[in-house]
Amino acid sequence: MSRPDLRSRPWRRRIALRRVVNALINLTIMVFAFGPILWGLSTSLKPSADILAYPPTLIPERPTLEHYELLFRTGIERPILNSAIVSAGSVLACLVLGSLAAYALARLRFRSKGTLMFCIVALMSIPLPSLLVPTFMFLANIGLNNSLTGLTLLYTAYQLPIAVWVLYSYIATIPVELEHAALIDGYSRLATLRKVVLPLCGPGLVAAGLFVLTFAWNDFVVAVAMTSSEDVRTLPVAIYGYLGFYGRDWGPLTAAAIVSTIPVIIVFVLFQRFFLSGMTSGGVKS
Amino acid sequence: MREAAPRDPTAATLAAGGAVRLTRTRGGSFGKLRTEEWQAFGFVLPLVALELLLVVVPLGLSFYYSLYRVDYFELTQFRGFGNYWRILSSPMVQASLVATVIFSVGALVLTLTLGMALALHLERDSRWNVATRAAALVPYVISMLVGSLLLRWIFSRDSGVLAMVFGPFGLGELSVLADPNTAMAALIFNAVWRDNAFAMILLLAGLKSIPPQLYAAARVDGAGAFYRFRRITLPLMRLPILIAVVRLLIHFVNVLTFALILTGGGPNQATQTVGLAMYRLGFIDFRMGEANAMAFLVFLFNLVLIGCNLLLFRERRRVA
Repeated sequence: MSRPDLRSRPWRRRIALRRVVNALINLTIMVFAFGPILWGLSTSLKPSADILAYPPTLIPERPTLEHYELLFRTGIERPILNSAIVSAGSVLACLVLGSLAAYALARLRFRSKGTLMFCIVALMSIPLPSLLVPTFMFLANIGLNNSLTGLTLLYTAYQLPIAVWVLYSYIATIPVELEHAALIDGYSRLATLRKVVLPLCGPGLVAAGLFVLTFAWNDFVVAVAMTSSEDVRTLPVAIYGYLGFYGRDWGPLTAAAIVSTIPVIIVFVLFQRFFLSGMTSGGVKS
Repeated sequence: MREAAPRDPTAATLAAGGAVRLTRTRGGSFGKLRTEEWQAFGFVLPLVALELLLVVVPLGLSFYYSLYRVDYFELTQFRGFGNYWRILSSPMVQASLVATVIFSVGALVLTLTLGMALALHLERDSRWNVATRAAALVPYVISMLVGSLLLRWIFSRDSGVLAMVFGPFGLGELSVLADPNTAMAALIFNAVWRDNAFAMILLLAGLKSIPPQLYAAARVDGAGAFYRFRRITLPLMRLPILIAVVRLLIHFVNVLTFALILTGGGPNQATQTVGLAMYRLGFIDFRMGEANAMAFLVFLFNLVLIGCNLLLFRERRRVA
């Protein structure tokens, strides 16, 4: 009878105390992560006069949408549309080209496959900032700078290795027998991929697509380096422009930040398990 | 018939994990391209072409451009390694190296510590923990630009947030982004805020692969919590920790968004990291020759880190 009696008062109290402490720590983590975003949201809903008031309040006393109205009056739709076009284009290109390459890597026999895999992993870890200057000069020489096409191509090139890697890992888990049946029935390789493999690849396609989507939607450095004119600005570049334009007028600035963030948070909440499975599989730049 | 060419040993081990074994051609078919092989080349062609055109070619060109004086995209004068000499002797670049070292080391240590603490605290898959993990990851999934912008607002004197927090300590007049030391601290805070959950995810995968029996046995032997961490967790987490270190370092050494948005490199270039200095040379001063030289040097340094990453990646696949 040396086991502690778990129902005794001191034990119950200790367990309850530990629960409370754990919950408090979890809450602190959430506040740490969300604090700046919530504070930005709160600022974006305050009238300009209240933003600079001291002491600051988290809950806006006189909530208003005036800053959002200002943004949409001054044409933030164009950058949003540009960002959407570039994101959709690169997701589509990455998934199409990525599933072709991933299928070949997972199923077909060919020479120098090992070398190719090695290069894909190396490409995943090249940091973008070291590519900006030469890529800008190269694009300017071939006339693709300052265009949404150029930007889409760059995003596709930067995210394709990760998409291939995620899809390759996924295809490798699908049983090969189904494809054999299709091949015996006279399907070509391409038809097999399209009609048998891809329909089974849902989660893999979603995970790969999400990485490309968030990258393209969020990217700032590549876009700001490669584009200069007003009509091809993506949303992050536009926000950077506001930073110079509005200066210390934080209402429209935080409103623009929230406009850019809300779609990401919604997508993340809906699909977070795909994010996590992809992040641990080895790809993903920080 | 034996396989003709000895294969690259690194590639062979990397490939050993998956279906890649099948690359070995069987029987006498070596030397003749089979239809399957042609098809495969067709399937990977877009990938290879795109990466060559938009990643490999620019990297090669950066070396070529770096040997010239460049005026508005025209290579006007051959300078040999003159640009490299200019770069390395420029006080701005030297200052950026110092700033990068301080920033990277500070951010790395804090991110890793916090990431490890989070991973240990949130290891159990309770619903509340899963939700907290997801929340911690939000700063990582939103745009870096937006994150830094929101922190800039918080750190600015206009918001009054810091005055309210530090006011009781008599530091109400503190202006964080105007002092070189506190500006660097703010920059490191930005990095830790964004990336700690990324470290957590990498470490969590490692933690979960440690068999719980080890902890139970140590507990029976009377080992305390710290002793268990020191003697079981840390040694078994060597690989995940190294992977996290290398991947975070690649990121921190190069990143420019934090500094560009949060501090603008100031005050007095105290927070101008290498990535930002390179951006400034190229896209603000338009000194493309020097900027390319710097990009190439930074890439050479990255190559070392990427090599480490590849080695670790290979080792992990062998273990798994």
